[in-house]
Amino acid sequence: MIDVKGVSLRFPNGTTALNNIDLQVKPGDMVYVTGPSGSGKTSLLKLFMGIEYPTSGSIKVLGQVMAKGQTEQIRQLRKIIGPVFQDFKLIEGRTVADNVMLGMRFLDLPRDQLRENARQALVRVGLEHKALSLVENLSLGESQRVAIARAVARKPILILADEPTGNLDKDNALKILELLTSFINEKTSVIITTHATHLIEGDNNTKFIRMDQGNLYWERRG
Amino acid sequence: MKTILLNTGYFLKEVRMMIRLNLLSNCLTLISTGLIFFILSMIISGWWVSSHVVNVVQGEAEINVYLDENTVKTNNEVTKMIDSIGHIEGVRAARVVDQDEAYHRMEEILGKEASVLNNFSENPFSSFVELKIDLEEIDPVLEKLNRLTGVEHIRDNREVLDRLRNISGVLKIVGFLVVIAVGISTLVIISHIIRLGISNNKEQINTLRLLGAPESFIAFPFLLEGLLLTLGGGLLAGALAAFSINYLYAQMAGPLPFIPLPPREALVSNLVIAVLVLSAVLGIIGSLLGLASTKSN
Repeated sequence: MIDVKGVSLRFPNGTTALNNIDLQVKPGDMVYVTGPSGSGKTSLLKLFMGIEYPTSGSIKVLGQVMAKGQTEQIRQLRKIIGPVFQDFKLIEGRTVADNVMLGMRFLDLPRDQLRENARQALVRVGLEHKALSLVENLSLGESQRVAIARAVARKPILILADEPTGNLDKDNALKILELLTSFINEKTSVIITTHATHLIEGDNNTKFIRMDQGNLYWERRG
Repeated sequence: MKTILLNTGYFLKEVRMMIRLNLLSNCLTLISTGLIFFILSMIISGWWVSSHVVNVVQGEAEINVYLDENTVKTNNEVTKMIDSIGHIEGVRAARVVDQDEAYHRMEEILGKEASVLNNFSENPFSSFVELKIDLEEIDPVLEKLNRLTGVEHIRDNREVLDRLRNISGVLKIVGFLVVIAVGISTLVIISHIIRLGISNNKEQINTLRLLGAPESFIAFPFLLEGLLLTLGGGLLAGALAAFSINYLYAQMAGPLPFIPLPPREALVSNLVIAVLVLSAVLGIIGSLLGLASTKSN
């Protein structure tokens, strides 16, 4: 699903965000990426999304080489990724349902299916009753759930969640992590970055990665 | 195309949101494009009316020949004179208009004001020979008429025609210049409002890109916004122009009944169609320019 070989990412100001990273993610994997702020967690997700490109090394996501000049291919790839952003990136002035449907509008789905997918996703995150509420009237936890609903409504095969618990209290954070892990199946993988190491746990299929100053370390838990 | 059709409702909703977010700017844009298109429509209608008048006057080109009564005295001499005039190349018809007919014609032209003719104790009009001619042949016809013995004075409408042609020509040039000015102004205004819209919706655009939305999907609401604003301006201009033309026609019908104006309904409908088509084209081009300039930045 994801194949990273010897990837480094250096910014023009000389900062090294990632340093010679190797990583494989298989279908059905649950991956937690932990580490302090500035350790390279978000940079890693940006590479998977095609927001940044590696300075050296190679990276393939779902068979697509992530490199400059692949704009259209990367755009197509993004259609089958479900991103959950740290700042939610919900569109204000629109309802919860509008926001959830936004991620599917350009997938050429019939209108009925579009609505049904959105409804199912909202049921899954427990916000069906808020479908017609404006997103600016939601709590942080609810906003995060809407962001997750938007990501999963289009049935992605890779969910990338960047600090989904960052703005939440402990109870809400646990619920969100539980919700995200519930989307894993034999086809779908979930990668979550978080600095809240005390909240995460996993089974045999769960991989734990620790990032530190751009370096990647595998961790064993349990 | 399928994506666009499937999301028509969404795009219209987005446009409504964008207009509401910048309500004042959008209203001012609509009014200013409306006024610009109104100026354009008045210039175009002036151009069309003058061209129509020139064509009508040209189509009815006449020359009036006044005979020297000392030379051409008898009816026989008048008939001979008419016969020789009628044989000049370029003359389609020649007939005598006697004093009474000339008087009645003036009565018709003056209409309600014809009572002014009662101030004359005698019929003030002279008889003359009325010629229908081919306008292209006017110069050789005039030359040959001047050479005929018995011709006292020739009244042609060349001065009037030349003036009308000049006015029409000036309006044509002004029309072209105004079209160019209107085009540039509209493109600048619309591309600016689109850039403003893009700037205000930067976050949303970024999110859509991260979700994999095609550029055409992201751009379409902005294109629609530009199109709707200019079409709104075009409609406003069309309404103002229709009102103005109706008013001007009503004003001219009384004192200037002899000016052969084109039919009012046809003028108004053609003008409204032309302004709407132009506004739609300029709206689309302006929006595309706004989108392109933002992309290049």
